[in-house]
Amino acid sequence: MAHFDTEYQRLEVSYNDSPPGEEDMLVHVPEGSKSLWHHIENLDLFFQRVYNLHQKNGFTCMLLGEIFELVQLVFVVAFTVFLANCVDYDILFANKMVNHTHHLHESIKVTLPDAFLPANVCSARIRNNVVVIFIMVIAGVFWLHRLIKFIYNICCYWEIRSFYINALKISMADLPYFTWQEVQARIIEIQKEHQMCIHKKELTELDIYHRILRFKNYMVAMVNKSLLPIRYRLPMLGDVIFYTRGLKYNFELIFFWGPGSLFENEWSLKPEYKRGGNRLELADKLSARILWIGIANFLLCPIILIWQILYAFFSYTEVIKREPGSLGARCWSLYGRCYLRHFNELDHELMSRLSKGYKASSKYMNCFMSPLLTVVAKNVAFFAGSILAVLISLTIYDEDVLAVEHVLTTITLLGVCITICRSFIPDKHMVFCPEQLLKVILAHIHYMPDHWQGNAHRYETRDEFSQLFQYKAVFILEELLSPVITPFILIFCLRRKSLEIIDFFRNFTVEVVGVGDTCSFAQMDVRQHGHPAWMSAGKTEASIYQQAEDGKTELSLMHFAITNPRWQPPRESTHFISQLKEKVQREAANCQQGMAEKHLFSSIQSIQSESEPHSLIANLLVGPPSLTSFQYAQEGHGAHHSSHIGSSDVASALRSLSPLSTSQHLRGSFSSTLAKGEGTPLITARGLAGSTTDTRTASSGSSAWEGQLTSMVLSEYASNEMSIHAVYMHELHKQQVRTEPARHVWHRQDSDDSSESAPEDSEANRTLPRSATFPFPGALSRQEGSTAPMVGQRRYGCTPDGASGTSRPGSRMSRLPMGGWTEDVQAGRHHDTVPEEGSDDEQPPQIHKVYKSVGYI
Amino acid sequence: MNCRSQVLEVSVEGRQVDEAMLALLHTILLHRSTGKFHYKKEGTYSIGTVGIQDIDCDFIDFTFVRLSSDELDRAIRKAVGEFKDALRSSGNDGAGQISLEFYQKKKSRWPFSDECIPWEVWSIKVNVVNLANEQERQICREKVGEKLGEKVINIVEVINRHEYLPKMPTQSEVDNVFDTSLKDVQPYLYKISFQITDSLGTSVSTTMRRLIKDTLAL
Repeated sequence: MAHFDTEYQRLEVSYNDSPPGEEDMLVHVPEGSKSLWHHIENLDLFFQRVYNLHQKNGFTCMLLGEIFELVQLVFVVAFTVFLANCVDYDILFANKMVNHTHHLHESIKVTLPDAFLPANVCSARIRNNVVVIFIMVIAGVFWLHRLIKFIYNICCYWEIRSFYINALKISMADLPYFTWQEVQARIIEIQKEHQMCIHKKELTELDIYHRILRFKNYMVAMVNKSLLPIRYRLPMLGDVIFYTRGLKYNFELIFFWGPGSLFENEWSLKPEYKRGGNRLELADKLSARILWIGIANFLLCPIILIWQILYAFFSYTEVIKREPGSLGARCWSLYGRCYLRHFNELDHELMSRLSKGYKASSKYMNCFMSPLLTVVAKNVAFFAGSILAVLISLTIYDEDVLAVEHVLTTITLLGVCITICRSFIPDKHMVFCPEQLLKVILAHIHYMPDHWQGNAHRYETRDEFSQLFQYKAVFILEELLSPVITPFILIFCLRRKSLEIIDFFRNFTVEVVGVGDTCSFAQMDVRQHGHPAWMSAGKTEASIYQQAEDGKTELSLMHFAITNPRWQPPRESTHFISQLKEKVQREAANCQQGMAEKHLFSSIQSIQSESEPHSLIANLLVGPPSLTSFQYAQEGHGAHHSSHIGSSDVASALRSLSPLSTSQHLRGSFSSTLAKGEGTPLITARGLAGSTTDTRTASSGSSAWEGQLTSMVLSEYASNEMSIHAVYMHELHKQQVRTEPARHVWHRQDSDDSSESAPEDSEANRTLPRSATFPFPGALSRQEGSTAPMVGQRRYGCTPDGASGTSRPGSRMSRLPMGGWTEDVQAGRHHDTVPEEGSDDEQPPQIHKVYKSVGYI
Repeated sequence: MNCRSQVLEVSVEGRQVDEAMLALLHTILLHRSTGKFHYKKEGTYSIGTVGIQDIDCDFIDFTFVRLSSDELDRAIRKAVGEFKDALRSSGNDGAGQISLEFYQKKKSRWPFSDECIPWEVWSIKVNVVNLANEQERQICREKVGEKLGEKVINIVEVINRHEYLPKMPTQSEVDNVFDTSLKDVQPYLYKISFQITDSLGTSVSTTMRRLIKDTLAL
């Protein structure tokens, strides 16, 4: 028997066979949901609240503000009721003597409490007055609604507050020091850890903007495409824009969140609206809804009107008394805010650039003094002034004059009268350069119709500008009229547009993963919505219906890329931006060779010509534009603006910046500039802006304090960079338009307007200086030449049916592209062409009627 | 919105509806369930075992795998049965949609009730076809089987992706993530709902809820 001696042997038992229990199982450690912030259900609301809390400077401010609003409401109602019922005006006006028994012998002094009715009389009066009780009940219901809303909001915002503190690590006290860009950067940072949005590992800036501005982007796009009925041609007044808060509220109610609106919830359009199949039915449904909402508005009109009047009275009377000039002051109209807004521009960004443009704008408006009015005003002021002077000197001599009836009233009225007159009298020492002023305005507001340029001195331009920049008094008046007019606009104007609206939402809605349904314009895709006359020629594939007007896509893209330097645009957009920057660089190079009349130069000039520099850059820009530009190579950005900066200013700017700069480039460039000192008085602004962009990107790595301050300073640079780009792009556009028969439209008329007012328009053509390329129906009908088809096609909803018989709705609609709904492309396209080929038989008669009325009226 | 959604579409014969639905729903739940958790004092847990079993379909040439949990099966059968009845009562060739929604609960403070936040929704759109003769039925039997096989592969592909899943909870939070009512398995919290095509569109209650929420929102 062979003995095998193998190496294999039984192992000694070195472990205890554990009883079949739990020890041998895999043991896991739960991560637990330590963060409250993963997987947030409604990210739209969440981001909106985060933004709101940031804008309102923290929780406490917001709480106080809301509480005071509630208190104010109670006060307005209570005070009004009190004034109406509990005051004995006879005593107040001293028509009746106060009958104090024990005061019989003394001279009687009327005190305020004497004028009040006793409580029981007062309450009896209120109880007997049905109207007052009715109003009070309604006010009470309204107030309760506000109160519940307030409590709900407080609870929600408390959560946001703890989000700021625990997740973003920003205490409420520090919040005002953070720019939104920083808050946003932190949100993007913590998404990696908390997964607020579960679709993506990382959020982008654009995602957050899309969510906050989802509906605003739609509104901007609709105004841009002249879809909303806010522009009217009235017999006496001419072109009028009527767009009030009440109207806006109703639009939003109808489209976005009201019962039965187009949107299912905050983030998705209802599926039936995405399909082209039954657009006529949907349009019918929409117009019925608009009718109902219009009627509801009409019924509620008295209540809203009373409220508006009371509110206006209490909030403005005091201001008017204190500074009567404020009524003559101007403000950016609601329409202006919509027209001037970029896609994806947050409220504070818009407001800050509009405010920067305010001074120049009011100056521009003041250029237009009617000489006739001035003469009248001068004389009225003279007479009023002399009476006032006499009254005042009499008062100074003996103040008993004031006790004479109506003397105080007269003095006050005369004062107001003189102030008003004075606003019509131009300052003797002012010199106005409207053309330059307009350019400065453009640098801030970024949008302007073409035909304004070169016509800045005309009254027509002024009138059109005043639609964007209206008198405060007009604003208040419009708000007061709004409750009465709104129902009519809804019922008679908006209802006709229901088909266009349905088409708009279908064509211009795209579903973005992780964001939901957004307006496709807001994607700022040059390829899809670019306008060939705005530098995206060759890149854009958009049909005329798809092109955003006024270069909105291009300018919005630039704006967004500049304000969010860390954002990675899609390929086409990157291409567009880099191409533009290249162009800037080329021209900058030319500029250095002494070609001062280049666009860039004028863009510099425009910024310089502002007499009161608005910010750091403007301060820097006052240096003489001459000689050479200091350039330094910078990877990534080859582009340089040739904006020139005085050396001393540079030095001071550098001093404020250099300790903060984290980018080596920046430091290097600064030190070299400093070294050159007085010898080299110039630096390229683009270089500065470019490097600041770097710094902004780099600053996230640095300590919080440094990052904060840098970002504050740099966001200012960003806005100036954008200003320069805006002016530059407009210059380029102007040049491009000159070379080709472009089709820029100031207000695209809606279909009914243009057809009704075609003769008026052609009349206007003779008097109005419009840009040669400004197409309108009158011109169209006369020339009917080569441009006519193009224009007709472009202005998809506005072809005057009289002028060209081809304005069949079908032919128009067949141009409509199918937005992002690829699945629907076939069906939709088929559908869209249907009306042309005798869909009349297929459509039920009543639908057909609506269709026709939309098309032809 | 903040949830993934997957849509599957099948067209089946009337009598195949419940088997097809069961096959798909069970397949999804198979991958979205774990064994029961046994928590220990140190804050760790171990996972119990789950059994699986093959189920052969009667009207389809198809076999699918499901968790061998009768309770779960009963719950799903009940939902599918209701769906089938609703589909049948709606007319002959109805179309409907059954959706399986995985959600997690989030505790809210006092004035609000707990929120149920979905993180994944599977919608299965069903088209019921009518067949004329036995031969067609036979073909359909095989075809549907193949189709279902594809769908199962589809589901597995989707589930295999590295995407968001609720984090494994601690003992106190386990009810917010998992359905712990079953004694043998522990699926993620789920909800099955269905719609019949002509009632597609928002129901009255959701509209009302939205209306109230909207008025409350800022």
